[in-house]
Amino acid sequence: MLDQIKQEIDRLKSRGATYADARWYPAEDSEQLVMVNGNLKANESSNQSGIGIRVLYKGAWGFSAASDVNNLPAIFDSAFDNAKIAAERVTFPVRLAEKEALQATFTSPSKEDPTKVPLSEKVAFLSDMDHKLDQPGVIQRYGILNFDKKKTIFVDSEGSQIEKNITEVFAFLQVSALDKAGVMQSRTFRLNRTGLTRGWESIDPVFFTQQCERIVSELNQLLVAGDCPKEIGSVILKPGQMYLQTHETIGHALELDRILGYELAFAGGSFVTLDDFGKLRYGSEKLTVRADATVPNSPGSFGFDDDGIPAQNNLLIDKGILVGAINGRQMVEEANAKARRPIFQGSSGANRATAFYRVPIERMTNIDIDAGHDGTLDDIVRNTENGIVLDGDRSWSIGSNREQFHFGTEMGWLVKDGKITDVVKNSTYQGDTLKFWNSLTAVGDESTWEVVYVSNCGKGQPNQVMQLGHGIPVCRFDNVRIGE
Amino acid sequence: MNDKILNTLKELRAYALQRKAEVSISIHAEDSHLMRFANSAISLNTNEMLIRLEITAFEGRRRAGYEMITDLEDMAKLKQGVDHAVEMAHLAQPLTYEPSIPVYTTDFLDESGYDAALANLANAERLDFFNQVSKGLETNELKLSGIISNGTNTLAMINTRSEHWQYFLFTDCQVTSVLAHSTLKWEVSAEQSAQKKSELKPSAMHDRLEKLVDLYQKGKPEQLPLGNYDIVFGSAAIGAWLEYIVYIGLDGGEMKRGNTFLLEKDLGQKKFSSRFTLLDNPTRLETFPFRRDFTGIERKLFPIVENGVFKSFVWGQDDADEFAANPTGHTVMHLSLEVKTGQKPVNSLDELLAMPRDKDILYIPYIHYIGLVNPTEGILTGSSRFGALLLKKDGTVAIPYNVRVTESLLTLFGEGIEWLSSVSEPYNVSRSYGARNPTSIIVPRFMRVNNLEISHSNSSY
Ligand SMILES: [Zn+2]
Repeated sequence: MLDQIKQEIDRLKSRGATYADARWYPAEDSEQLVMVNGNLKANESSNQSGIGIRVLYKGAWGFSAASDVNNLPAIFDSAFDNAKIAAERVTFPVRLAEKEALQATFTSPSKEDPTKVPLSEKVAFLSDMDHKLDQPGVIQRYGILNFDKKKTIFVDSEGSQIEKNITEVFAFLQVSALDKAGVMQSRTFRLNRTGLTRGWESIDPVFFTQQCERIVSELNQLLVAGDCPKEIGSVILKPGQMYLQTHETIGHALELDRILGYELAFAGGSFVTLDDFGKLRYGSEKLTVRADATVPNSPGSFGFDDDGIPAQNNLLIDKGILVGAINGRQMVEEANAKARRPIFQGSSGANRATAFYRVPIERMTNIDIDAGHDGTLDDIVRNTENGIVLDGDRSWSIGSNREQFHFGTEMGWLVKDGKITDVVKNSTYQGDTLKFWNSLTAVGDESTWEVVYVSNCGKGQPNQVMQLGHGIPVCRFDNVRIGE
Repeated sequence: MNDKILNTLKELRAYALQRKAEVSISIHAEDSHLMRFANSAISLNTNEMLIRLEITAFEGRRRAGYEMITDLEDMAKLKQGVDHAVEMAHLAQPLTYEPSIPVYTTDFLDESGYDAALANLANAERLDFFNQVSKGLETNELKLSGIISNGTNTLAMINTRSEHWQYFLFTDCQVTSVLAHSTLKWEVSAEQSAQKKSELKPSAMHDRLEKLVDLYQKGKPEQLPLGNYDIVFGSAAIGAWLEYIVYIGLDGGEMKRGNTFLLEKDLGQKKFSSRFTLLDNPTRLETFPFRRDFTGIERKLFPIVENGVFKSFVWGQDDADEFAANPTGHTVMHLSLEVKTGQKPVNSLDELLAMPRDKDILYIPYIHYIGLVNPTEGILTGSSRFGALLLKKDGTVAIPYNVRVTESLLTLFGEGIEWLSSVSEPYNVSRSYGARNPTSIIVPRFMRVNNLEISHSNSSY
């Protein structure tokens, strides 16, 4: 198969293609188990295989994919034909940043292959957790396990050949109940990074049991809590909300394809312009952000992107100043040319596709915020006059250029004169992106820093769901509109 | 009809019967094409031919599903898929209820939604369509974005309870075009949904874009003060809000779980404006309908809200089994929603602009990125995008920077509805995260709702 793929790539080159690559998925196995109130509502697995071909011809992309690989030449021809018609409407011919052609493999860290664990053991685990969640106060219980294991082989016309073997584990527990006003309140636990490997071993029953107890207890506190007040105050975001604030108002805003207008038909643009790199004060001096695909054990660490570029750790925001973007080979060339200055030194390795049948686009890796020097969560609370600690994403809505946002969270703890007073429900806050990040006045230390996994980031047309991570500390922002 | 698909289903059924297994099997084949535009160029031109085989195995109260994205050549591999599903069901934990297995009593073939001309739309025709849409409108600063996505869906199903099968074949097309100012960052858009090629009308999209570009180039931009406004929503915005009525309002199982803003006690009650009537109407080909659901129930006109009165939840088979309810023919990939039109003869942007007005009216064609602030109260939030206008009392038109609307669906479709257009159109709400599943909602072109709150207002584009 591999030889045949290489022959086909050579054939397209001889027909005039300037570049071609193939991503062949011999097998991707996924499994999803969903237990709702003790019922195993979904007990599903899947196997997919196929190939995606990307071709560059006269500065334009063509792509074709098929699950039936019995007629490879037809799939390659189809990609080439798609590129040929695309070449009839080119405004900035696609160029790819230089790279080294690598022969490499990457295997994500995993001790126990989750696809080899007997189904009965997985179901028993979910059932056990469901019993633990079945406590007074709780009326709805959800438990979800997701496993994915894929082998992908990337070959391109520049001589690269990269094999990746990636295993992902995601887990989710949630309890809900109606409060006195008839409004559903929930508390959620998502499995984040707990160690340096991510196989079945990360499904640790002791740790999960502790999380069951915590979310049940917090739900019961919510059920008797008052409403989040409407006020202007400080918000202290725990990792369970801080990750989403970072994701939506830094991560997506700094995707170079969005900045260059490639997502305007759907996901939207960015308020950031090419002029801003090197000078825009994005946040306060306490803010240092990096795109770090080298973080051990995260879905945002994948060895090599789908352009064949090795994982990197790059600064995006340095002490508040915008310095970098999330990008791939095509976008850095276009950005540097349009800005008439070399903003980017080659690709940062963030071009990824969700499946063999989708084309790679700029995706977040691990968009992380460096831990700061403002102590623990307790220290930050102690130094806060009036505000609210927030955790657990509940709703999110962001302006199309990522210039403003509205978030709702599961749980809030009011802070008055350095002390936590009450738990509140229906907490929300909103703001303007730059104003908000410039009001960052406290960044927690290493003890508050966690790597949070994201399993469902959506982007692109055709639509693609991507997995990634955020390493973030607890952060405090002042003068925020709360409770509307 | 594709004999290979049907024969594969029959052979796998025979195999399951031979090993005394209870299974239902379906094949979904998609032939998808998408030409994407950005920065006035074709940024991506793609096609995908994908075949999904889905097997659900039952063993009493135990159930399991196995999906393969594969080819249909290797029968031994497909039979292993059946084996795998059967083994998974055997290891499953029993449900607290008995899951139904459908019994098809006749073969059912529906190819009425298929248009060969759309299925065979060529690359050059896709490009030509977009060239017509954008003719004369692009400049150094005004850049074209968009997609034209068309495809053919084949969905066929069979199970071990009878030899009969169901087979659906239909075509769809979704077109979105955006003109965006590269430095000022304003954006205007036009969209279309089609089930046949003859429904594609590039001139209509062109005219809308031309009109909006003209207004945006001449109009004075302003930041709206926060407060309450009378808002005219366009079809895209109406479609976006409606998707959430389905998502957090109508599903019977989700209602039982406490996740909906409509409750059992609301049945028969007036919950919305008497001007609001919502149906599930599988007779409308524009909605890419399933005329039978996947359990074999014939799908007919189904009232959901009638003159503001909430008439029924929709029940899929699995939740109906769990909660001992009657399934309503809604075990399908998507509903065929239709909002009844009103009386107002305002059916085009020109007519909207010409409409006499006694106060300032905010026109919001499109809502971007809806968030569920409070599902049990139906409260949503989203921002305006793609060509909002402030139609001033004095007859002039100003350009508002984008604003955020945070309101309950009970308010958005409540007593504040002043009027609905007298003409409707299908608005395409398709997403392509998983298997191709084209979905359109038939909505009036405009809906005016009075006294809605703007909770945030941008200070620039
Ligand atoms: Zn995202």
